[in-house]
Amino acid sequence: MPMKRSPEVRPKPADALVALAVLALAAALALSAWGGGRSGGLTAVISVNGQVTETVNLSRLSGPEVRELNANGYTLHVRLSSDGAEVIDSTCPNQVCVHTGHISRAGQSIVCLPARISVTLSGGAENGVDAVLG
Amino acid sequence: MRRFFAAALCAVLACGLTACGQGGEQSADFYAMDTTMNVTAYGKGAKNAVGEAQTEVDRLESLLSRTRTDSVVSRLNAGTGDRAVGMEVWGLLSAAEKYSIATNGAFDITIAPVVSAWGFTTDHYQVPDQSELDELLANVGSVHIHLGEESIVTLDDGTQIDLGGIAKGYASDCVEAILAKDGVESAKVALGGNIYVRGSKPDGTAWRVGVQDPENSDGFVGILSLTDAFAVTSGGYQRYFEQNGKRYHHIIDPATGYPAESGLTSVTVVAPGNEEGTISDPGHGTMCDAFSTALFVMGEEKAVEFWRSGAYSFQMVLVTQDGRVLVTDGLKDKFEQEDGSGYAYETISRSPS
Amino acid sequence: MKLTTKQLTLCAVLTALALALSYVENFLPLSLAVPLPGVKLGLANIVTVFALYALGIGQAFLILIARCTLGALFAGNLNALLFSLLGGLSAMAVMALLSRSKRLSIYGVSVGGAAAHNCGQVAAAVLTLGNTAPLYYLPLLLGVSLFTGALTGFAAGLLFRALEHTSLMKA
Repeated sequence: MPMKRSPEVRPKPADALVALAVLALAAALALSAWGGGRSGGLTAVISVNGQVTETVNLSRLSGPEVRELNANGYTLHVRLSSDGAEVIDSTCPNQVCVHTGHISRAGQSIVCLPARISVTLSGGAENGVDAVLG
Repeated sequence: MRRFFAAALCAVLACGLTACGQGGEQSADFYAMDTTMNVTAYGKGAKNAVGEAQTEVDRLESLLSRTRTDSVVSRLNAGTGDRAVGMEVWGLLSAAEKYSIATNGAFDITIAPVVSAWGFTTDHYQVPDQSELDELLANVGSVHIHLGEESIVTLDDGTQIDLGGIAKGYASDCVEAILAKDGVESAKVALGGNIYVRGSKPDGTAWRVGVQDPENSDGFVGILSLTDAFAVTSGGYQRYFEQNGKRYHHIIDPATGYPAESGLTSVTVVAPGNEEGTISDPGHGTMCDAFSTALFVMGEEKAVEFWRSGAYSFQMVLVTQDGRVLVTDGLKDKFEQEDGSGYAYETISRSPS
Repeated sequence: MKLTTKQLTLCAVLTALALALSYVENFLPLSLAVPLPGVKLGLANIVTVFALYALGIGQAFLILIARCTLGALFAGNLNALLFSLLGGLSAMAVMALLSRSKRLSIYGVSVGGAAAHNCGQVAAAVLTLGNTAPLYYLPLLLGVSLFTGALTGFAAGLLFRALEHTSLMKA
């Protein structure tokens, strides 16, 4: 059977349009996936009793926000900002969550065991870790 | 033509289904042994493994918990005279005794009443009187545990045990066995601060495990690149209370009854995954858990001496109060220093320089 | 779709060729030069683009399905099937569309195909991992696809020029 169609085997000007379209797509993806700045895409995942209750894209926050979290009879105040998270105060007896301090790296987390609340950071720069010791 | 395309469409849809059970990521987050736990596995067998791992950890908690009144450990603590504890607990107690002797008592499961006296078990903190401590310390020491035949164990009067220092490590050994049995080749397990990584990540690169900087919550002292390994860190920088301007942390030195002041702010112990089919001794996960606490109590000099003795095979990262990070030479290629952390990094080699 | 014996044979030969090309490109590890997961030359797309022009979308589709299924079976890895199918189908869909334009040469069509192939594979990775982490690599992969697409376009062009006047392409 004869060839259904024959392609042009020499490059044509319009090919550049395809190349530009691919580059534009790459740029758009880079902007949205990589975010602006070092902590682009850093996200805080808040879980209570092992279930995720909220996911906050920290890089999109315009300013620091304080969340009040209540669970299992304890109240925590968590400050979220574009560079991370910390527990400002907690009514729990051991205060480990407060002692943990401010976290800003993907993989780090603050856990309040009595309240069964955890705030874990994920996403962000390519230099992230898969787990944190200590 | 239509039939062909219909069949092709079915085939394409069926392929979407194969991805579900086959190559997916399976993960579970749960609370157990007084901490948060996460088991994440990839590939075939992952779904089964993750469920079984959670069940296994719950089983171990029922067996070993000091706070559950019906656990084997609680009944041993509560009872008088001989008790049959079963092969598993007997094996753990035997390993604990071995580690205690090897570390000259720095690791000690009988320290429980002292830890309670400080309030770390009930979260009602207090500094105990010296006289109270002296009385309690009289019952501390592995000599007060008698391991008999047929899994019989006897505790001296007043001696209480707490397996909290190795329970998570032992649990990580058990989870490793489950992952191996289910044919999982890539997984990441975090039982509190006890990490076990199996194989490499699904994309073929090593697992990156950050070591927390005790002085700076935002930072790491470095990042370990690990495959098939256990890693455990001990430090007093999160679990402590302050009284009269002094900080008291939860890692008690069995020799003094006071929080250990050894000049170290954190100790990380790393060991390879267990070889298949060896279940006689509790595995490397248990060992790393015990040693991370023991070496913290022992301090830099004794810890390095212990490592150099070669009695046990492991690697470690020590962070000192005077701003140094010491890494054993077996980890040199796997430890990425963190720029700007402000620490001075040193490598410890087998022979003293 | 009724195929003549000649068409059927040609499809079979092209399927084998595509399988061989996928196998061979493992020996030219692009990942040494470009350290991205899943980066490859995509030589099998040469067959897809050739079949699109020479045989039409129906037979090109047949070859693609056959190549992906057999490839996954031979590799003993059914999970790879999702990746190669999503990649291959996306590439074919985009190339089928682009090939309709008379203003594009085989280079434009191939670059479009390579870009679509990467998008399809990243989509498969996102489905498999259950998170959006693979999307971080896509911008870089798309950049690479400009080169791999041009390369496969060049190779396919050579193939067309060679076969243009042969009896293979006559009824």
